[in-house]
Order: sequence, then structure tokens, then C-alpha cells
Amino acid sequence: MTVGEWVRNTSVYRSVIRHGIAPTNRNRSLIIFENLFLHVHPVKVREKTLRFTHTFWLGGITLASTIILVATGILLMFYYHPSVPQAYRDMKELQYVVDNGVFLRNLHRWSAHLMVFSAFLHMLRVFYHRAYRPPRQFNWVVGVVLLLLTLLLSYTGYLLPWDQLAFWGVSVGTNMAKQAPLVGERVRFFLLGGNIVSENALLRFYVLHCVVLPVALLLLISVHIWRVRKDGGVQGPPDDERRSL
Amino acid sequence: MTTPIEIIESDDPLANPWRVALVRPDGRPAVHETDERYVMTFPHLILREIILFQVVVIVLSLAAILFNAPLESIANPVETPNPAKAPWYFLGLQELLHYFPPVVAGVVLPALVGICLVVIPYWRVNLEGAPLWAAPSRWKAPAIAASVILLSILFAAFSCWPIVIPTVIIGVAMFAAHAVRPGGRWQWLWGVTLPEWIMTWFVVIAVVLTVIGTFFRGPGWSWVWPWMDAPRG
Amino acid sequence: MTLRRLFALSSLAFLIVLAFSPVKNALRPYRALQRQFRVVGIARASSGKAAEVYSSRPIAIQQVWIPELNNRVDRCTTCHLGVVDAAMTSAPEPFRTHPPTFHTPRDVQRFGCTACHGGEGLATDEEDAHGTSADATSPILPTEFIEAGCGRCHDAEAVRDAPTLSAGRALMTKSNCFACHKARGHEDFRADAPPLETLSMKTGAEWLRRWLSNPKAVDANATMPNFQLTGDDIKVLSHYLFARPVPPQLQHAIELAGAEPNGDSARGKTLFAESRCISCHTVGGKGNGSAPELGTIASRASRGWLIAFVRDPHAFYPQTKMPRYSFTDADVRDIVAWFEDELKDFDAPADILTPLRVNQTFAEKGEKLFKSAGCFACHSGVKEGERFGPDLYGIGELKATSLDFGKRSDLPRTLAAWLDAKISTPRSFASGLKMPTFAFDAAQKRAIVTALLAIPAIPVPDAYRSTPVQQAAIVPAGPVGEIMTRYRCLSCHQIGRAGGDISTAPLTFEGSKVNHDWLVNYLAVPYSIRPIIAERMPVLKVSKEEAGKLADAIAMIYVDPSTPDDPFLGRPASDHDAAEGERLYTTFGCRSCHIIGKTGGYYGPPLTETKARLKPGWVFRFLQNPQRWRADVRCPNYGMTDTDALRLTAYLETLAEAPAVPVAAAAPARKEAAK
Repeated sequence: MTVGEWVRNTSVYRSVIRHGIAPTNRNRSLIIFENLFLHVHPVKVREKTLRFTHTFWLGGITLASTIILVATGILLMFYYHPSVPQAYRDMKELQYVVDNGVFLRNLHRWSAHLMVFSAFLHMLRVFYHRAYRPPRQFNWVVGVVLLLLTLLLSYTGYLLPWDQLAFWGVSVGTNMAKQAPLVGERVRFFLLGGNIVSENALLRFYVLHCVVLPVALLLLISVHIWRVRKDGGVQGPPDDERRSL
Repeated sequence: MTTPIEIIESDDPLANPWRVALVRPDGRPAVHETDERYVMTFPHLILREIILFQVVVIVLSLAAILFNAPLESIANPVETPNPAKAPWYFLGLQELLHYFPPVVAGVVLPALVGICLVVIPYWRVNLEGAPLWAAPSRWKAPAIAASVILLSILFAAFSCWPIVIPTVIIGVAMFAAHAVRPGGRWQWLWGVTLPEWIMTWFVVIAVVLTVIGTFFRGPGWSWVWPWMDAPRG
Repeated sequence: MTLRRLFALSSLAFLIVLAFSPVKNALRPYRALQRQFRVVGIARASSGKAAEVYSSRPIAIQQVWIPELNNRVDRCTTCHLGVVDAAMTSAPEPFRTHPPTFHTPRDVQRFGCTACHGGEGLATDEEDAHGTSADATSPILPTEFIEAGCGRCHDAEAVRDAPTLSAGRALMTKSNCFACHKARGHEDFRADAPPLETLSMKTGAEWLRRWLSNPKAVDANATMPNFQLTGDDIKVLSHYLFARPVPPQLQHAIELAGAEPNGDSARGKTLFAESRCISCHTVGGKGNGSAPELGTIASRASRGWLIAFVRDPHAFYPQTKMPRYSFTDADVRDIVAWFEDELKDFDAPADILTPLRVNQTFAEKGEKLFKSAGCFACHSGVKEGERFGPDLYGIGELKATSLDFGKRSDLPRTLAAWLDAKISTPRSFASGLKMPTFAFDAAQKRAIVTALLAIPAIPVPDAYRSTPVQQAAIVPAGPVGEIMTRYRCLSCHQIGRAGGDISTAPLTFEGSKVNHDWLVNYLAVPYSIRPIIAERMPVLKVSKEEAGKLADAIAMIYVDPSTPDDPFLGRPASDHDAAEGERLYTTFGCRSCHIIGKTGGYYGPPLTETKARLKPGWVFRFLQNPQRWRADVRCPNYGMTDTDALRLTAYLETLAEAPAVPVAAAAPARKEAAK
């Protein structure tokens, strides 16, 4: 009896995973629909949707970077105080004292860029493949909201290092918001907790970045992915006969 | 007291939603046969997803090892860097500020873009997917030409050349579809729909503006060449 | 199958890539250095126990944390492990012991490292800590300018052990930098450039043209920088300056003086020498040089103007440092007659003093230029809180990347290089810049760059601030104050922090130092106390009455409360042993600098008439600590005991006789005192 077999025979293992490991189609089906996370997938998928050019995996890349962002973001929160000037000092501590601190911050930063970028491309891919057409209209709208949330997340996170880049980037951005008629000034005041980018703004951006926006994003991502399956799976390029005329 | 269920009876199959199938006179009720092959999600899709995740992590980790995230000196409200730039994905907007009044560049245009994106799937023209020149029409060509010219003039009035030039190019490309030979390498131009032309126009402008804002703007939002030693101020 | 192989491959790559960062982390350079330090330490350890300490050192980040100094964290000692370790005196860097200074190793825990040296204290790798990369936030101070670090806490102009910084600060004040630039501690700075109202009666168009095109070429003592004016600029400025109305009173005085008969040139020459004008001025380059060169004065100013000016300089130029001598009218006539005979530029054209015929259009343009070029900043004063040039706040901590190098692509991208170029050739950065060119030499530039680098962005907390005790500069109101102002005592002497440094004798505690009667005589007829020094007390022709008033006031006001009137009071009689004091005089080698009778060195003041001149309490305090009142006193501090100092005082107090009296005659008195 190998160790593997012994493990699989323990009552604990069997209480968690109820199917065998033999490569039968039954087991393979069970893997999918006995798992909360995997059951967004059907048990069988159309083979052509697996082709790279079908979706370019852009949604997947966006989701992967989201997962990396959540993981590194939680680790970074352990080292970060949303206060002035400690926030900036914490960046230096990450760089010089925290083990792998630079790596964490770099990974978070580059993942954020990748997420914005791949979300844009994902949207374009969906548009050019006309995958927004019924029954997927609503999921397109969810996607647009997700793109907006992604931008907001990236933007709120931009302020947190509290360096010159952050401060002035956010100042420039919020000054644009000020231009909106009637509500502009108020929206800006609400966002910044004051009339200038200050410690209050840092705290608000921190709460938005670490709690409000991620929760909203994860909820909407769940809706988005669930709708993909409900609306008939991923939609690749429109049928060839409709393309050529 | 319960109200009795009201039963609507109708002979009109178009008005009655409880139909099973509608067979039009010119068609036959037959199942559309597909030769689609299905495969098991595990392992075919799941493994691909894991590999994708791993590749993303590998690429990002290498980037994180090789390139450090920027960190400048501590925020100083007194010392304004010149130019003060927003994050890259807003630099297109910031570039617009250079040409238009703040209300237009900062509020009207972004709001228009947002609204346009949301309503895409609810517009007929987007759903039909018919190529631009598919249905011959007397007014289509003049209307499109007029729109392109009007837009070009409008943006030229603000000397916003990064928009004018893509507008003109896209306009020319739309009419160039008439000139392509069937079966030639430019044949795909013929199949492009109007929404696709518009989206392409938008994407090209967004990319051009963002690239200009990111790389070609120096102190006082003046034009600089990224490969030259940028004057600091 | 390919899919599975791909999966295996990507999993492997995934694990390898994730291991990169921890490996990189484990190989950080400071860890290797700390292991190396163990080896170096063990090799240098004097005992087995000491070696044990080195070998058991943990490999860990070291830091000095000073919450009260802007929450400073300095991790320099992570690599510089031997900074306060005496065993590492000649060890290889980065382990070497810090050279001893006033603050090291005493204050390392109080100041950390970056407070003085600059650099990024938080960093744990060399490049970031030293700020060697071009975009570094805080680069380390180059050794050349290291004294800038002292200036972050030390506010005074003169800082002990920091000669370059002190020279730079003094030079900035002298060059009127703060007339255009706002800086902390200099907010109410007033330039002392002359007013230009009487210029049209003083000099001629040709002289003015020469002056404006390059002041230093006309007068090496000029403090006015070169504004690099074009011919047109000079023309319109000249018209403006000659168009300015002369105040009627002065005009009258100049005209009257010009009409006076010629004086006696030979007598003037004697008077000039007696009056010690070259304590401030130069003639042919000889003299102190803090006031204009007089070698060609007669080709610079008209006769009438010169006579009227010397008679009452303060009427012409209220901020001038020049005293108003009590010359008679004839004295001044004679002196100016000597100027006219001898102190002339004999190569100059005959019309050098011919006034300009004013063209009103040019004059109006000139007035605009006078404002736009910033001439007014020095010449007519500026409004409170307004300065012509940019502020200097925080200039010492500007980031190199935020500097505008303009056309100067040749410069290294560092703050020091930028500052150096800014004060050498300020207009080379772009066209249209307004800062004039000063003719500083390399040492002066280094000093000014040091002083500029010492201006921090965030001032150190007050607890770290070393501001010298503010001793009020008391010039009393009333008649005594008027006398002191008239003779401009503060032009040469210091009182508290105010005053010039031409004289080596500050007046702050003069009342505790010298005897009243001696002072009265000295003021009336000054003589040279320290013949070795060229700058001597001018013979101001102070009247006996004025001298008495001054001496009274000095005895009353300029008193050091810690200096006893009678230092021997309450001390054992043995402390009053002049014979023992004489022996000490020999032991300490005072003779090598001071003259008593006819023997001794010339460096210090002669002590022959000490009893008449100096008060014993002051002598006693001085001997205890010669640098007590003035940091740059060269007399060595011998760390004398009170007894020694008192005995030496007792000896010096016996030196009352005029130098002519033989030493032998004084001997019995000393014996008496010994008993």
C-alpha cells in the first residue's frame, strides 16, 4: 500500500473528496460538479472553445492577476499604515527590511497594470467577436462595470505609497473630477475627505482600495463568470458564415 | 378571495408567448445539426486554466524580480513636479485636457465613452452585424462622409490633431472597402461593420492619446521626444 | 499527453520562479559583510573574550532609532559595523572606526549618521544608502562639503571646527545674497549698498560705464557683482542714474566744498596714514579690503563730493560702515588734496568725471531696467518679506532630479555641481536669467556651496538646534549711542552677535576687561595694541569729553557678570603669589607670543602695561579659558588650575610701569607681594 493509497483510505480524506481517482468520465464529472469553485464549469465543454484564438484567455489572465493582487495585497496590508508620513516610511521598510518586501510590492504593482491592460483587451476581444449579443447583453454591462471597478481600484491604490508620483497623480485626477457640473466639487470632497489630497484622502482611498472596491469586484466577478455559463459558455469569433458575405 | 386565473387565448402565434416553435413558410422544422466535439472539462479545461495561472505568475514574478516599482520622494504638496502626470490609463484623458476645456475633457467625453460602452448590446445596429456597405443605400455614403468631415473639422477647431488624423484615416479606410478586390488580401475590409469602425476609431484615438501623454509630454505639458534627454524643471 | 507535459513543465518553472525572491533575499550583501566583519573582528581582537563577542554577533540589520530627531532611523551601522569600535581604527572599509570629532563617538546614539552625512538612513544596500544613483532621494554629502552637515543644527554664522561652512556663511552675507534671496534667519536682511542719489555729482559717465560693465575690474574690493549688462543697458541705466535728483542739502554741501581752496597735500598724506584708513580701505591693494580701493579715488569721485562725503559720510550713506571722523574742515581739504595729487588713475581719459547729459527717454527705460534687473534689491531696499530672487528654503536638500539644468548638459546631475555652476556662471543655464556673476575663487565657491547645502528642507527639532546665546547688541540710546553710531564702533568691533570682525577685540564685555582711565586715554589717542596686525584702531579724533562718556558707558553696560572684580577675594594668600606667577609665565612659554619689557614674541599683545590696561578679574577668567569670549583666540587653553591662573594674574598685575622702567625696580614689589 503506497502512502497515497493510505491517505485516500483515511476517513478524513473520504469525507472531503467523495470520488475516486481512476481516470473515468464519471470521476472527471464529479471533480467538476462536486466542487463549489469548479462547478461554474459544465462537465463537458465544446472543444473549439479551448483553442487559444477563441478567447485569447484574456478573461482568464485578468482573473489570474486579480487572484495575485488579492494574495499580495493581503500580505502588504500587514506592513502598511494609512497615515502620513508612516505610509511612505512603510514603502521604505518594505524595500529595505521586510523579507521579500520589494518582490511583494513589485508583484502587486505589475499585476495591477496587467489587470487593467488585460481587462481592456478582454473588452475589445468581446466586442470584436460580437460576444455582447443576446443573451449576453447583461454580462457585457457587468463587464463594463468591472472595468470601471478595476480602474478605480488601480487609482485608489496609486495614492497609497504617498510619494510624489502618488500625490500628484491623484491630485491631477481628482482635479478633473472637480470639473463636473454641480456635483464635481462635492464628489471630490467626498472622495478626499477634504479639499486637498491629505491624510484623510489617504485613509479613504485605503478603505476603498482594501475593503469596498475588492468586495464589490469579487461579487461582480462571481456574477460575471456565473453568467458566462448561464449564457451558454464562452463565445468565440462569430460563425464564419456570418462573417463573410 | 382569490381571483380566478385569467387565461388568454389567442390565435396569433406572434402574440402568444407560449409557443414551442415558430415555423415560417419558407423554412422547415429541422434540428440544426452540429459536428461540435465536446471534451471533459477535467482535465482539458482545468489543466489549461492552471497552466495559464502559472504562466501569469511566472511572467509577473520575473517582471517583479527584474523591474522595481517606482517610488519617488515623499509626497510634498509644495513641490509640484513638472509635469504632474496621472497614472498611465488616465494619460489619454489628461492629454485631452490639453486641447479641450476641462469640463469637456474631464467630464463630457469620459461620460460619453462610458454611456456608449454600456448601451452597445442594446442597439440594433450592433446586433445585426451586417457589414457597413452590405445593404445599398442612397444616404449612407453621404451621411458617413459628412460625419467624418464634420468630426474632423470639429476636432481640428480645437487643434486636436491626435484625434483628427485617426478620424481621417478611419474615414478613408471605410470608403476604401469599395476599392478592394474580392478574394484579395484586403477583402476583410468589406466585412467590417459600422460599430466596428467606430470602436476601432475610439481605440486608435485612445491609444494615440495615451502614448502621447505617457511618452511625449514634458514640463508644462510641452512636446518632448522620449529619446532625447528631457529637460527637468 | 502534451498538455500534461506542458503542465509538468509550467509547474516546475512556477516553483523555480517563486524561489528567486527568497534566494535573492538570503543573498543580500549586508549579510556577507557581517560575516566578513566577524572574521576581521576575530583577527583584531585583543583577547579570546573579545573574539567571542565578534564570533557571536548575530547576522541582522542594525539601526539607530531617534524618534525625537524627525523619527530618524539610520541603518548605516548594518554595514559600517566598526563606527564606534576602537579596535577597527585602521580596518578596511566599511568597518573602519569613525575619525574622532567633537560629536563622535560621543553623540552617535543621539544624532545617528544621516543627520550629519546625509544619505538614506533607512536603506540597507549601498547604492540606495549612499544615494549614488541619479534619482536618489537623498544623496550622501560629498566629503568636500561635509561641513554642511554641521550647519543643519548649528545656526550661527561662525561654527567651531567648521571653517569652510563659517567662511561660506560670512561670504554669503558679505555678498548680499540675502538681499535677493529669502532664507531662514535672514528674513530682515538689509543690503548696505550705497544710495545712488548723489551719483550724478560724484562721478562721470565714463567711470560709470566702466563700473557697470565690470565692477571688479574697476575696484578689486567691489562687492557688487557683474550683471553682464549690454552697451544699451549701460546707456539707459546711466541716463536713469544721472537723472535722479540730488537732495538739495547734499547738493549744496558738495557745491560749497568744490568751491573751497585747495588744501595741503603733504599734510593730507600724513593725516591719511595717521587715521589708519587702510584698516578698512586699500591703497594699491594694501590694506584690509573691506571698503573701496582708494588708489584711484580722485578719478572716481569729484573733489567737492569727496570733501563733503568725508566730512559727513552718514548724511550721504546712512548704512555706511565708515565712521564720521572729527576732522577739521582743513583736515579734510588736505586729505582730498593729497588724493587729487597722488591717488589718481593717470591713464584714464580726461573726461572720466564728466557728467552725462540726461535724455529723458533713455532715463525712463533705465528706470524700468533698474527694477527688472533687480538693482533696487541692494540699492534702495526692499519691502518686508519680498525678495527679488527665489527662496533658499530647503535648497540644501533639493532632489537632483527636480533641478533645472537647462542648457548645462555638461554638468554631473548632482545638487553640488548644480549649485557650484549656479554661483560660478548663473546665466549659463538659460537665457533671460537675472542672477549676476560673482567673482568667487574655488575655495570661496566651495564654502558657499557648503553653506547652501547646510540649508535643510525640514529644520531639525529645537532640541537639536544649536543657536548661540543671543546676547543683545546693546547700543544705548541717547548721547552715548549717538557717539557710538557716529564713530561706527560696530563696523569693526563685535557687540554680542552684531558688528564687524575687523577688530579682534569684541566690545561685548569690554567694561569688565579694561580700566576706565586707560580707556579714556586710548579712545582719545589710540595706539596699536597688536602691531603685527595691519588693521588698527583709526585715530578718529575723539574729543576728551566724548571719550569720557564712552568709557563711562562701557564700564557700566558692557560687563560680564561672571567676571569678578577682585579674583583674589576669599582665596588663600598663596594664590596671590606673583613670583610663582612669573615662574608660570616662563613654564607656559607665554614669552613666545607676548612682549614684556623688551623681550618676547610679537604674536600676542604686549603685556608690559597690563595693570594699567586690564582688570585682574578679566585676566583671571581669560587665563582659565582664553576662548571664553571669542572662539578664534589663538592663545592656547592650558587648562590652568584656579591657583595657577590667579598666580599668573597676580604676576601680570604687577606690570604697571611704563616700558622704560627697568625690570629690577619692579622686583622688590613682587617679593613684597609674595610675603
